[in-house]
Amino acid sequence: MAEVILKEVGKTYPNGFNAIPAVDLHIADGEFIVLVGPSGCGKSTLLRMVAGLESITSGELTINGTVMNKKEPADRDIAMVFQNYALYPHMTVFNNMAYGLKNRGVDKATILKKVNSVGDMLGLEELLDRKPKQLSGGQRQRVAMGRAMVRDPQVFLFDEPLSNLDAKLRVQMRVEIRQLQRKLGTTTLYVTHDQVEAMTLADRLVVLNKGNAEQIGTPLELYERPATPFVAAFIGSPSMNLLDAKVADGVLSIGANIRLATDLSFNKNVVWGIRPEHLECLPESAPNEDADFILTVQAVESLGAETLIYGTLEGVETIVVVRLSGPHSPELGSQMKLKAPSAKWHLFDASTQQRL
Amino acid sequence: MIENRPWLTVLSHIILLLGVCAVALPIWIALVASTHTPEAFVQGVIPLWFGDHGAETWGKVLFSAAGNGVDVPVWFMMMNSLIMALAIAFGKIAISIISAYAIVFFRFPMRSLCFWIIFMTLMLPVEVRIMPTYQVISDLSLLNSYTGLALPLIASATATFLFRQSFLTIPGELVEAARIDGAGPWRFFFDILLPMSRTNIAALFVILFIYGWNQYLWPLLITTDDAYFTLVMSIKRMVSVADGAIEWNSVMATTMLAMLPPVIVVVGMQKLFVKGLVDSEK
Repeated sequence: MAEVILKEVGKTYPNGFNAIPAVDLHIADGEFIVLVGPSGCGKSTLLRMVAGLESITSGELTINGTVMNKKEPADRDIAMVFQNYALYPHMTVFNNMAYGLKNRGVDKATILKKVNSVGDMLGLEELLDRKPKQLSGGQRQRVAMGRAMVRDPQVFLFDEPLSNLDAKLRVQMRVEIRQLQRKLGTTTLYVTHDQVEAMTLADRLVVLNKGNAEQIGTPLELYERPATPFVAAFIGSPSMNLLDAKVADGVLSIGANIRLATDLSFNKNVVWGIRPEHLECLPESAPNEDADFILTVQAVESLGAETLIYGTLEGVETIVVVRLSGPHSPELGSQMKLKAPSAKWHLFDASTQQRL
Repeated sequence: MIENRPWLTVLSHIILLLGVCAVALPIWIALVASTHTPEAFVQGVIPLWFGDHGAETWGKVLFSAAGNGVDVPVWFMMMNSLIMALAIAFGKIAISIISAYAIVFFRFPMRSLCFWIIFMTLMLPVEVRIMPTYQVISDLSLLNSYTGLALPLIASATATFLFRQSFLTIPGELVEAARIDGAGPWRFFFDILLPMSRTNIAALFVILFIYGWNQYLWPLLITTDDAYFTLVMSIKRMVSVADGAIEWNSVMATTMLAMLPPVIVVVGMQKLFVKGLVDSEK
């Protein structure tokens, strides 16, 4: 069990490309940290730097108090699960799991015991003699996890391990990974681009954007108080409505026509945000004055339990999403009266992109 | 084929049979000729059925000196050919798998230059560089030796290229997983790369064994001692008799023997050969 500390860890490639400027992260013992971000944000690079597969060009990485910057991956006492599993195709499941132990000079009896117990835990008892080719995607995924678990490492590293599975299996494995991690209590660093995966798995989330940690916090913190428009747009599905707006003299104006009263005292250009689920739909009979704005419906997605309505506001080009529970079927082109409660607003400074 | 046209089937079978005849007939004639007296073959009518001198010819060919200035029996030359072919096949595979390993998995200065230099030797087969190569082998006093027979033919770009292509398809994650599992370069080579290249090695072995076995010009050039004569070059020697009749029956029997090992290798390793060229274990 281990504490992982990244102190201003950065990566600059030889060609001068600065993939990760500097990341500070303190991972407590047994914590499940998820690195999330769009593709190309440097999340995999950061994980691979912790693994030792990429060099760290600045800053310091310590695992359990030992500086790991220059150590070989095998000497860091970490185990990694890859997106395509990276199982050795010519070895049986047993040998795949035993290989790391063999290389460390563990005696045969111990290997047998460890592999069998991990095999039992993951339900692989029947498959130990098979080759990876003869396994289904989900089984391969389990073997890859077994290979990591067998070594009893200080830190687990997962690099988008569920991306190659179908949707149903992904949900199942997600739950399983969480349970296993709780049971083993191993510090875990997990990379994904899927925000649902990130929200459900993480003790704490790190949202990365262009190599910078935009925000670090628990899933609910990030949902309720996103620090930047980037985090606000990334966390939550469908993502938050973000509109350029202006606050002046106690009025928030969006576009040319929308004016909302506010008790904000500053005068500034802002990014105004509200989550689709926080927009309230007023009955048609309600007077126009009660509505904050009128939405012209352009598309409706009925998902049964909820309905997503896409539309535009008067004088605003950005499409706005409203999420209503239960089935609704407004006509395309019809108008909806919406209310945006000011308690649910998210305001960001337009120039610094920071939360106000 | 989903089509079901009986005449097409018949026609294609006839064409295939003709092809088989075209290939098999000379071999059949050679086999038949080896069972007749030497005169029978040159009398104008080529016999198409076995004669009664078979045992005699084959016994002579196998166990006594081959004649026409060749003092060693055919089985001895077969051994020479075998040693040379095996040395070439194994030598080429060993060298090219190691060089491909270096080129694909290690980042050293001038890596791609090295690869292209190796690749350029494709344009320099033995026949092109035969004089300088002879000079080198002669300076190293390797004339009339197994090393001299095999060494110049071992350096190979084709095999390196083939291994390189197959190594390039190995996903980077696999290499990284091995690194995390504590496998250094040696372990990775022996535990992972070598077993994964099994079918490739088998396919290459078949090709290279036949290549080595069929070598003619090089052995002809550097061997003057009967003890190092190979079979393929000796057949030519047996035909070029200054005076007197050519012993066609012995020549044909020797030819049959010369064809045998490649056939055994191809038939025996057919499955692995096809697998190595067609699919991969990745």
